[in-house]
Amino acid sequence: MRYNILCGGPAGQGPNFIANIISKGLVEKGFYVFSSREYESRIRGGHNYNIITFSDKPLYSNSIQVDILIALDDVSEVVHKDNLKKNVLIIKEEKSNVLAAGSAFKVLGIDFSILDSELKNQGNYNENISEAKKGYAAENRILNLPKVSKRKGLYIWAGNDGISFGASQSGLDFYYAYPMTPSTGVFFKLALEESSSKYVTVQLESEIAVVNAAIGSAIMGKKAMIGTSGGGFDLMTESLSLAGGAEVPLVMYLAQRPGPATGAATYTAQGDLNMARHSGHGEFIRVVSAPGDPIECAALTSQSFYLTQKYQIPGIILSDKHLADSIFSLTEKPSIVKSQVKIKWPARFTSYESDKDKIANSSGKNIILSVQKRKEKYLKLEKEIGAMKTYSIYGKKDSKNMVIGWGSTKGAILDSIKGLDCKFIQIIYLEPFSKKIKEELKKAKNLILVENNSNSPLSSLIAEKTGIFIEEKNKILKYDGRPFFYEALLSEIKKRLK
Amino acid sequence: MDNKKVRTDATITWCPGCFNFQVLAGMQQFLEEEIRKGKKKEDFAIVAGIGCHAKIFDYLDMPGINTLHGRVPPTCLGMKLANPSLNVFGFSGDGDAYAEGLEHTISIARYNVNFKYLIHNNQVFALTLGEPSPVTELGFKDTTNPFGVKVPSMNPINLLLAAGATFVARIFAEVSQVKEILKEATKHKGFAFIEIIQPCPVFHQDAGYKERFYDLKQVRHDKTNLKAAMEKAEEFDYSSKASKIPLGIFYQVSRPTFEELKLNKSHN
Repeated sequence: MRYNILCGGPAGQGPNFIANIISKGLVEKGFYVFSSREYESRIRGGHNYNIITFSDKPLYSNSIQVDILIALDDVSEVVHKDNLKKNVLIIKEEKSNVLAAGSAFKVLGIDFSILDSELKNQGNYNENISEAKKGYAAENRILNLPKVSKRKGLYIWAGNDGISFGASQSGLDFYYAYPMTPSTGVFFKLALEESSSKYVTVQLESEIAVVNAAIGSAIMGKKAMIGTSGGGFDLMTESLSLAGGAEVPLVMYLAQRPGPATGAATYTAQGDLNMARHSGHGEFIRVVSAPGDPIECAALTSQSFYLTQKYQIPGIILSDKHLADSIFSLTEKPSIVKSQVKIKWPARFTSYESDKDKIANSSGKNIILSVQKRKEKYLKLEKEIGAMKTYSIYGKKDSKNMVIGWGSTKGAILDSIKGLDCKFIQIIYLEPFSKKIKEELKKAKNLILVENNSNSPLSSLIAEKTGIFIEEKNKILKYDGRPFFYEALLSEIKKRLK
Repeated sequence: MDNKKVRTDATITWCPGCFNFQVLAGMQQFLEEEIRKGKKKEDFAIVAGIGCHAKIFDYLDMPGINTLHGRVPPTCLGMKLANPSLNVFGFSGDGDAYAEGLEHTISIARYNVNFKYLIHNNQVFALTLGEPSPVTELGFKDTTNPFGVKVPSMNPINLLLAAGATFVARIFAEVSQVKEILKEATKHKGFAFIEIIQPCPVFHQDAGYKERFYDLKQVRHDKTNLKAAMEKAEEFDYSSKASKIPLGIFYQVSRPTFEELKLNKSHN
């Protein structure tokens, strides 16, 4: 069973606030939850909404057809008209969002005490709790949901929570950022916990300042990280090249959003894979990984600290708005690897090709030596990464059908292939690209690719690295700024199974 | 690192007669004195941008980074947050500080990061063979501007005063002046902006500046008075061929440094 709640309302009216409280309530009760949010690039008004899909079994994606509509405005019923089920239950409350939450808790059969304790963590408790009680008391519709009981250790996290956790657990010293959706969640989270942590967060005048300050801290032997989205990353790329050339460890969190230029600032896409792999001038080494859920966000962030420190290179963690902002219910705990700082002050660094004393030297012989040093380092990195978990295989291991994906599409793919004659390979490390992936792809007869973009950079990467071409008709590409929904993806995959 | 030798053996590639030799010698003497007094090399960092000035990084056997064009200030900021007791000296050219990296030059003054920022101002892009910078005078001709520079130059002294710099000085590229101002700036707890006026013997020769210089100390300039500092800054607009050119400390006040504020995790 999959139940779907849509909670919509104007920005500032708190659809996200309410949706998070309901998600927590459902998880407390024992349901598995996946909750995504859509918001416009505005502070007040408009129409924002969250979709909470829940089940008595684990799930990682949203459905589209709505069972329960919580409308904090007039337009929700109109905007989502086509996706409302015939028997949709509507909670309409334009004035008080906590009143709507009270009502929803009753409908969902969640204990009121959970709502009470959630509201205690917020401001305006007295006013809110009386409104919530009113909503709870007045509601008399109660859904007939499957019986579940509280699951030990089930908790909720968004991708950005995982990134923040991975960074702080890896011994982060400095997080530098310039605000940019959808990476800012990490900045918020880290800043919120800064007073009880050892790290310091710093906002500076531009992304260029941000990345160079991070390099400044890194050369002093501190663990530095930056967070941004495509446009900000563009501004950082000259310095990415500096980190590559001068051998400076630098962890970069790149949360994608759609479109060139400013694009669609608050929506989702996987359009920056090539940028993550190729940006920056000259030939240098980097590591690029793409988590598919919050647990991997934390684990890969810690691996990025480990690898960047060990090899003194830049590392990019590639996420997107859908992963960054969506809430997952989880039981597993991420594994964090320890990372050692290798740089010891006093030391010299330079943006020039240089000799062993870091004095600029552009003789042919020296350039060759510098290039070869980086190449040797690449081979070592490639070897070490080869022994790490660079991809994962899910589903029916001996199936001839194989879905290929990376990053935030993982959830929808996992949900869709359940019960199908199909397996799923999730590519986790995009640079260096594991040679073992070729062997895995060769084992399947029918390759189906899923990406949240229009040019399918992953299929180009696979062709480049393995010589395997994926048929055009087997590419399931979505580029409307929205994530894949379970039912739609299931039907697209089914069409292509052999 | 050998604590005795401040200079490297790298071949110096500045042109004969270049005023960068004066800056290098001033810096070298300053460092040697500090080391004699008990400081270690690791207590200092040299950060340089890109341009003729930046070669100083290769000539000083000191820790630090020769970073990208224009990015000296944020690099120094990151280093100072990482190690607030480090004595960081940033070197930039006028192209570095006033063109490519102007956003940082202004912001770093506002932040008041405690490092010393020395701008080798030769009023020209020398290493790329003589193009005008933001402080080149009106009418200056070169291959990329055959009809002459048509927009007025900026006034960095005024700009930095307006931006909130807590120490603003201008000197001429002459060994003793360099050494003196380094001593003064090091005593200052906060950001120090030091503009070094230096002719470029190839692309921007001495325009008779020497006869027009005077020392701000001699006119009893009140360096704690922002308005007076602004007035003094206005005297030379970087284009004029006749005005007097004040040298020395225009302005010096005290306020908390960026690193003190950021590393202190209590609320204001």
